[in-house]
Amino acid sequence: MIWSKEETLPRSEIEAIQLTKLKETVRYIYDRVKPYRDKMDAAGVKPDDIRTLDDLRRLPFTYKADFRDNYPDGLFAVDKKEIVRYHASSGTTGKPTVVGYTRNDLDMWLNNVARLACMGGATSDDVAQISFGYGTFTGALGLHGGLEKIGASVIPMSSGNTNKQIMFLQDMGVTLLVATPSYALHLGEEIRKRGIDPEKDLKLRIGLFGGEGMTEPMRDEMHKVWGKDFICTQNYGMSELCGPGVAGECTELCGMHINEDWFIPEIINPETEEVLPPGELGELVVTCLGKEALPLVRYRTGDLTRLMYEPCRCGRTTARMENLSGRADDMLVIRGVNVFPTQIEEVLFKIDEIGPHYEILVERKNRLDVMTITVELIDDRLLDSYAKLSELEARIQRALKSQLGLATQIRLVAPNSLKRFEGKAKRVTDLRKDGL
Amino acid sequence: MIRQISVFVENEPGSMMKVTSVLTESHINIRAISTFDTPEFGIMRLVVDEPQRAKESLTAKGFVTRVNRVIGVELEDRKGNLNQMLKILADGEINVNYIYSFVIREGRAPVMIFHTDDYEKAEKVLKEADVKLIEDTEL
Repeated sequence: MIWSKEETLPRSEIEAIQLTKLKETVRYIYDRVKPYRDKMDAAGVKPDDIRTLDDLRRLPFTYKADFRDNYPDGLFAVDKKEIVRYHASSGTTGKPTVVGYTRNDLDMWLNNVARLACMGGATSDDVAQISFGYGTFTGALGLHGGLEKIGASVIPMSSGNTNKQIMFLQDMGVTLLVATPSYALHLGEEIRKRGIDPEKDLKLRIGLFGGEGMTEPMRDEMHKVWGKDFICTQNYGMSELCGPGVAGECTELCGMHINEDWFIPEIINPETEEVLPPGELGELVVTCLGKEALPLVRYRTGDLTRLMYEPCRCGRTTARMENLSGRADDMLVIRGVNVFPTQIEEVLFKIDEIGPHYEILVERKNRLDVMTITVELIDDRLLDSYAKLSELEARIQRALKSQLGLATQIRLVAPNSLKRFEGKAKRVTDLRKDGL
Repeated sequence: MIRQISVFVENEPGSMMKVTSVLTESHINIRAISTFDTPEFGIMRLVVDEPQRAKESLTAKGFVTRVNRVIGVELEDRKGNLNQMLKILADGEINVNYIYSFVIREGRAPVMIFHTDDYEKAEKVLKEADVKLIEDTEL
């Protein structure tokens, strides 16, 4: 099923909608959001200069750092009383990136999520178990609301507690699972360990995955674990743009359809910032159209992909983005949570007993991401007892948990045992190959 | 009073040898050594003839090294002697964090080294009970 007629419009009509909304959006941000007005003035662009879609590239970029510099709500375009929902994701340093929604924004957002749920095969008959963590992250409540919109029955399970997850899958006749792909694989394997055969014993038929990229080898594994007829798609979004609902795979599995009447995608060379033609690999830049609370123009997502404009066999005419092929920056996605090494650094630098050098190792063990941070011990007072060293490890873990919302493993080593770098340090080793 | 040195070592082949080789190069004599079975890192504890110089040599080579006070007790090799000493400490409600032993050369009595957070109190109750405490100079 196709949720909205805007998904099947001829190219010229999509572009006409985009141009109208773009002009309104640029006028709106210039009038209402000072940081945008300052940037546009500095670049010598006025709202009236936007006459064609190509004029988009005259506008300055917006960066993750702009959220940090205008924390918490300096990029907002409406008064607080118009906000009906806040969400937040990890920032590049200690402070989170806070996003807000007006009543209209929520409606637009959840309609866009409804579209991608339909792209992935969901219908009003589905019983959907949401196994994303609830809280300030947009994933859980986004899919939750979108699936409710199409009339599916939603179970707000949240993440963790594998036994309860399995009990609900069995007892409630769950047909649709929302999770990160790595958690879905972990859950599937736990189910098989308990002697349950998902193909025979469960009604699960659809997986809507997000929060982290799903590679083709992961999709193959998904079919091994959940069965060959399992419909397994992924979708794309980030909280700054709205959360999930920016793009999603249809069951033809040929890229993720972008909801182009709400988002204009561009691909740029991240170094030269030059806009690249369709089909070329580069950094995805997104302009949100018609958002009230938090309009966003030319947002540098950091995600590397390419765009395809040919109509799809599913009937949709919207542009498709290829499954992500990495990041232009050093952001890590750990169990669906965005992590910047700078956030970790900020925590470590406040702990006097360890040195300034560190290494981050990311592995996937038993399908789940494990992050180990190696630090150098420098304070000899801790050698009085093992308890003091263990206490230091626990203290670092607690500080990281409160900063990142993630459990980490800490490894203490002797001073000078970590590699020193001249110039840009390579402190992150990611051993997750194909996400498996 | 005996000054013990503690050295942070990682749990990997050769890590203890790196410590002993620094001490050998510096002509420091090791009297006693103790480590415990731990998964990732260890604390190597040593009694040496020149603890301050040992710390300087090891620190110069990048080791995290600590010198701290421990109590050394000379016990005659007779049944029940260790038990008796531990009873004195227990009666004094003194917690022993760890204990290890060595024998001073030339056939003298074994020495028990132990560490406690109540150093002064431990020293006091042992002296009152006439237990023979060993000093750095006697090693």
